Amino acid sequence: MSDILLQLNNVTKSFADGNGTQTVLDDISLAVKAGEFVAIVGPSGSGKSTLLSIAGLLLSPDSGDVIIGGNTMLNSKSNIRTAFRRKHIGFIFQTHQLLPYLKTKDQLLLFQDKEYNDSVTANDLLEDLGILECANKYPANMSGGERQRVAIARAFINDPDIILADEPTASLDATRGRYVVELIRNQTKKRGKAALMVTHDERVLDLTDRVLHLTDGKLRSM
Amino acid sequence: MKFALRELLYGKKKYILIELLLVLLMFMVLFLCGLVEGLGRAVTSAIDNRVADYYILSDSAEKLITVSELPDGIINEVREKTNSEVTTLDIQRMYLQKQGEERKLNVIYFAIDANSFLAPSVIEGKTLEYSDKDNPIVLDDDFMAEDIHVGDIIIDSASGFEFNVVGFAKDEMYGHVSVGFITRDSYTQIRTRLNPQYGTTIHALAFKGKPDDLDMDGKELVKKQDIIDNIPSYRAEHLTITMIIYVLVIVSAIVIGVFYYIMTIQKRRQFGVMKAVGFGMGKLSAIVVSEVSLLSVFAAVVANIFTFAMSAVIPQKMPFHLLPADAVSVSAGFVLISIVSSLISIIHISRVDPIQAIGGNDE
Repeated sequence: MSDILLQLNNVTKSFADGNGTQTVLDDISLAVKAGEFVAIVGPSGSGKSTLLSIAGLLLSPDSGDVIIGGNTMLNSKSNIRTAFRRKHIGFIFQTHQLLPYLKTKDQLLLFQDKEYNDSVTANDLLEDLGILECANKYPANMSGGERQRVAIARAFINDPDIILADEPTASLDATRGRYVVELIRNQTKKRGKAALMVTHDERVLDLTDRVLHLTDGKLRSM
Repeated sequence: MKFALRELLYGKKKYILIELLLVLLMFMVLFLCGLVEGLGRAVTSAIDNRVADYYILSDSAEKLITVSELPDGIINEVREKTNSEVTTLDIQRMYLQKQGEERKLNVIYFAIDANSFLAPSVIEGKTLEYSDKDNPIVLDDDFMAEDIHVGDIIIDSASGFEFNVVGFAKDEMYGHVSVGFITRDSYTQIRTRLNPQYGTTIHALAFKGKPDDLDMDGKELVKKQDIIDNIPSYRAEHLTITMIIYVLVIVSAIVIGVFYYIMTIQKRRQFGVMKAVGFGMGKLSAIVVSEVSLLSVFAAVVANIFTFAMSAVIPQKMPFHLLPADAVSVSAGFVLISIVSSLISIIHISRVDPIQAIGGNDE
């Protein structure tokens, strides 16, 4: 599979900073293919989160294009981008960010857009991620690792084009963190998604296909 | 609705406390509502209960029956000209004494034709028409609490005229005073005893249905509701307390809006995440409106149950009279204003930037 599902072309972003502007992303280009798992590392404040926000259509770049599954959505209205995110982008956050009042199966079923996609079933995902026995539990009754696995299931439930993971191991210990990244990798491969992960955790980089380093607004291969 | 129900059930403890507050507020509003109506009924019920639709008064009477004055012969004149049923009504405030007792009781006489449509139905004893006693009187049931019974003799204090108590009618009051229904004949005798020059005049004519083609020279045709509104003090009392009720309804509804807003602020990040993963404002607004509707409808229903249950057990003398129509309109107003007040939460959510879902202190 060589289809490019996520493509950033010449993306630049700067923020006002005291007595000038600081260029956080400087003419960045990036392409991630179906089935490819890419990691972005870099020091704190290097703009990793900004890059992920732009790729996730949460933030508009000053210039450049973001193409997801062949669609350029940057110029759409915010409500259209919101609807697009639900179908085409799977997010995994630092902490699980599950809704505290929903049981696991409802986290998936109430989020699933059945008109758009019913090929992925909640049961299959829970089974793949080894958390079928958590289907009727609230987040408060699960371990950190289990919650993060439910969050992974939620990211995949609408069969999106790309998966964006923001420090998915930040709230977990080393063993569990590694296990969670393995699961992201396996699902990405199995379901043919383009996955982009921002991380500090160098111990999981061997699980990715490519590692990119973000320093001084530039992206370099390692 | 699925989200709303699950969230409310998950946070039961928190929401039950809020519900408790709302139920108490709504209960207070509904109870006041019943008191307003009850107090209002103490002023108007004797007119309200009459099946007359229109009254004719003298045009200088300012729509007040007690100061109106019409010539005696008018009833026959009018009967010739209209097909509507018509009868006479005189209203006179006096004092009564139970035979052998000194204590004077306030009474308002409604002097009527015993077999006319103005005659009250009775809850005990006989009506004026079917009584075989001389000088019969049918009293408001509040007189029962004064230890007066069917068969007693009571005396008009000023004239010494004796009445036979033949029956009791429910809820018959005028201007906070309990009513006694007497015949025109008794009334004329009392007036003549007090003032031998009493020339027979009448206060008002009452009609069933709207009379047509009448010569209204020196007279005025007045609707039943206008008669009620012009009873002294009625309008001022009614308006004041009604205004308090609506202020309370608005306050209770805003309480729910403010509570909900505080909880919304606490869930800022949660809404940010929901927006990031693709829930649009339409969906989020629907969740908010469903939750607020559920909370307010539930509070209104519980408060209604409490109030109606309580109205069944409060003492007879307490002026409490809650109309289902009033309870419904107050409850509906409460629910509607609650939903409107949830708008501040929706506006707050619309300003949440989904980008806060990404990154911790990275930027």
